[in-house]
Amino acid sequence: MTVQAVILAAGEGKRLRPLTHNRPKSLLPVANRPILEHLTESLVKCGIRDIIVVVGYRKEQVMRHLIGLPVPVRVVEQKDQIGTAHALLCAKSLISHDVLVLPGDNYVDPASLKESLKSNNSVLITTHRHPSNFGVVTIDEGYITDIAEKPAHATRMTVSCGVYHLSHDLLDMISEHSMAEAVMSFITSGVKIAAVHAHEWQDAIYPWDLLCMNERLLRGITAFREGFISSSAVIEGAVSIGKCCVIGPYTTIKGPVVIGEGCVIGPHVVILPGTSIGSRVTIEPFSVVGNSIIMDDCVICSHSTVRAAVLGDGCTLGEHTVVSSGAGLLEMGKEVVQSSCGVIMGNGVFSSPLVSYENSVIGNDCYIDARNGLRLRSKVIPDRTRVM
Amino acid sequence: MCGIVGYVGYRQAAPVLIEGLKQLEYRGYDSYGIATMCDDISIHKKAGKVSDLSTGSSALQGVCGIGHTRWATHGIPSDLNAHPHLDCTGTIAIVHNGIIENYAGLKRELIIRGHSFRSETDTEVIAHLLEEVYDGDLLMAMKLVVPLLHGSFAILALSKGNNQLVAVRNQSPLVLGIGDDEFFAASDITPLLEYTNRVVYLEDGDFADIRIDGYTFFQGSLMVNRPVHEIDWAPETVQKGGFPHFMLKEIYEQPEVIHRAIHSLNDSNLPESLRKARSMTVVACGSSYHAGLIFRYLLESACGIPVRLELGSEYKYNPVPSSDVIIGISQSGETADTLAAIKKGTCNNVPTVAITNVLNSSITRHADDTILMHAGPEISVAATKSFISQVGVLLQVVNLLSGRSCDDILSHAGFAIEKVLLINFEEAVDLCSSADHIFYVGRGPFYPVMMEGALKMKEISYIHAESYAAGEIKHGPFSLLSSKTPVIAICAPGPSYAVMLGNLKEMKARGTPIIALGSEDDIELIELVDILIPLEPAHTYIQVLTATVILQELAYYTAARLEREIDKPRNLAKSVTVE
Repeated sequence: MTVQAVILAAGEGKRLRPLTHNRPKSLLPVANRPILEHLTESLVKCGIRDIIVVVGYRKEQVMRHLIGLPVPVRVVEQKDQIGTAHALLCAKSLISHDVLVLPGDNYVDPASLKESLKSNNSVLITTHRHPSNFGVVTIDEGYITDIAEKPAHATRMTVSCGVYHLSHDLLDMISEHSMAEAVMSFITSGVKIAAVHAHEWQDAIYPWDLLCMNERLLRGITAFREGFISSSAVIEGAVSIGKCCVIGPYTTIKGPVVIGEGCVIGPHVVILPGTSIGSRVTIEPFSVVGNSIIMDDCVICSHSTVRAAVLGDGCTLGEHTVVSSGAGLLEMGKEVVQSSCGVIMGNGVFSSPLVSYENSVIGNDCYIDARNGLRLRSKVIPDRTRVM
Repeated sequence: MCGIVGYVGYRQAAPVLIEGLKQLEYRGYDSYGIATMCDDISIHKKAGKVSDLSTGSSALQGVCGIGHTRWATHGIPSDLNAHPHLDCTGTIAIVHNGIIENYAGLKRELIIRGHSFRSETDTEVIAHLLEEVYDGDLLMAMKLVVPLLHGSFAILALSKGNNQLVAVRNQSPLVLGIGDDEFFAASDITPLLEYTNRVVYLEDGDFADIRIDGYTFFQGSLMVNRPVHEIDWAPETVQKGGFPHFMLKEIYEQPEVIHRAIHSLNDSNLPESLRKARSMTVVACGSSYHAGLIFRYLLESACGIPVRLELGSEYKYNPVPSSDVIIGISQSGETADTLAAIKKGTCNNVPTVAITNVLNSSITRHADDTILMHAGPEISVAATKSFISQVGVLLQVVNLLSGRSCDDILSHAGFAIEKVLLINFEEAVDLCSSADHIFYVGRGPFYPVMMEGALKMKEISYIHAESYAAGEIKHGPFSLLSSKTPVIAICAPGPSYAVMLGNLKEMKARGTPIIALGSEDDIELIELVDILIPLEPAHTYIQVLTATVILQELAYYTAARLEREIDKPRNLAKSVTVE
């Protein structure tokens, strides 16, 4: 039986700002590849070849990426992002079979997808520590009886992963904007929706969740080494190093680590497990980087320590920068949330030497100029700020 | 400048030909036609674009056929003038790309000998000439006819009753695609990508005899072997992938393209003739000429090497300059004028370097050295990513010749372009789309950037756009300024900033609306101009690239607002293969 997949990648992912300034959440790189790409790989692994992606926010960026995928993908546009079910309906004219609906910004492993394909109408579920960010589901004998979307007080830890396997005729019944509401109306009209437990599922609600997702997806990397690697460099575990990289003498890299193309790392640099480094990144001598996502075109100057950081494209960290992990409360938009990270930086941030970060979020294109050093702890700095 | 395709194999030929023609449409789109062989030769041809095609023609039967998409040179675009052309008896059909220079004389002789012509094209004479000598062996007939023809041509022919194609090439591009038990012929490799990655490039003067069971090449009467090349272009690169136009897709590919272009050249593969040169001449046409102009400004100031710039079409009227090397820039590698310049250099013992996007194109075979710009196939007629990659390659040449002083700057060029892609052009588009005339002004290396910007605007939005060096405006064009002629200017901090700001104030005093590319922190500029498009402060090399992309996008969005045919602007074709 053929199944089509519809990936919903139109939303921005506002809670992941400042990282989603130039791309939607689904394109954020985790283990050096966009989340969307990990997802399409899972789909291909369980034999689904007919993939439709709904795009919206920064759609050109998504389309540009999709062209390079090994599977042909069809694209439809959702002009206004008013809901997941509405996004699915945007693709309706291309759907002729049963359909698997997936959020483009979550990772689901192929085994879970295969499992959900077994039952006719199903929702993938899992347990989560913070259920109130998701749709909380009530289950009776393996079938869904209720979905409460982002409740203020969640009564149970079982949540929907947002992955739905629906038979083709159900599409005509959708009149709601959100998938959770649509599924509720299926249930009230007597359709049985099975609840299928996911093996492996990763979502990032807030930027620091990306670090966890990164660590998980790094486990699946294939190690390969290209570029120029000094004979005195020590490389242990699963490490992949891209084309044209230069790994200087006495550099130590402990996998799992991925490094993109054209990076210059070392001499005397230590890279610890759980680190993804994009393309054209420079890491100067005597620096330590661990458990971080460093995106393209970043520069980390000498004598720096960077842990639990997410650096957007084109960031520069001056000499003697210290980024250390810490927990605390942050004011993100209108809500106050519990966070735990070193630093989250948007694109193009410049940070002068001697700044230390702990549990902070720095907006896009910020300029942090501290001649005599500066300590930022549990701070949120908005886009385009100059800190003098 | 037309595109031709041919097919022999096991598939139905018509759909293959139609799809192939769609890929070749950038070469011309006045009219199209196909002919297939099945007991008899059946022909379908029409004025108009092949992409607007009604379903009728794909129903033609047969496993052998030829097709053509036309950019009119002789005779108006009409159903009759569309290729393929038949002889009087309907036994031979041909398609042709190029120009038969002596067709008028041949046509008079043929009419006297009793042939009746249906079209006004130069091509039809070939069909009638073949008819006179054809006795069942099409290849032999072709060998007898070709010596009579003067000019440039790539010809595909088929005859009634045979599943056989005969191909001839002389100064117009033609490649043969080799599949499993099937063969393709086309003006370039894009139509072949879907079926095979093995191709053979025909040389000038080659005849190819193509049948279902194999192919043979002849140079005159001598049988020759031509090497089979493998192509690494992926078929996805010639699909739109959800983008409304190829042009926008290609604009978005530029961050990656610039990296490839810059990395393609390093100390070890920089042509020796460039390294040694104490003077250079750059020959190019259109956008490539603008890339050359930017190169002149930057190389002269970085290395003090004088660079002379020539338009390809004018170069033949010049004596050969005494410079040490001639650089020919052509995206397609088939631009006739640039090709002629390279040949002129070779004839006069001047080393030549070709900068092109197409491996094994004509220019690469005539130049001593070739630098590939690795932009990937460009389908949109208006050059975007190929221009950026030309500038990228030339910037890297400047960088290498000046001792790699800018490696760090160039390696992050893509990131700078990514940022430009996020700019919102709504306001500027409002202003431009309602104008009839737009002036582009800049100074220094930004002057050619403006020339390129104006060219893009003209090409795709059909708005009259002129570029001037800012200082020249007062020598005449000033009289054309009014409140209805927007001026687009680059006013970035740098040596020319103060003068440029002065120029803008003079224009503003005449009520001219101004769109400026400048720093967002520049309050004086913001107060002066109507719309400011942010141009990040950066090294000149980077600003040249980012400003180019800004102007490409401005032209694109203006044309999109006016609902123009962006990928195929009227009357144009991508590679200009006639002089």
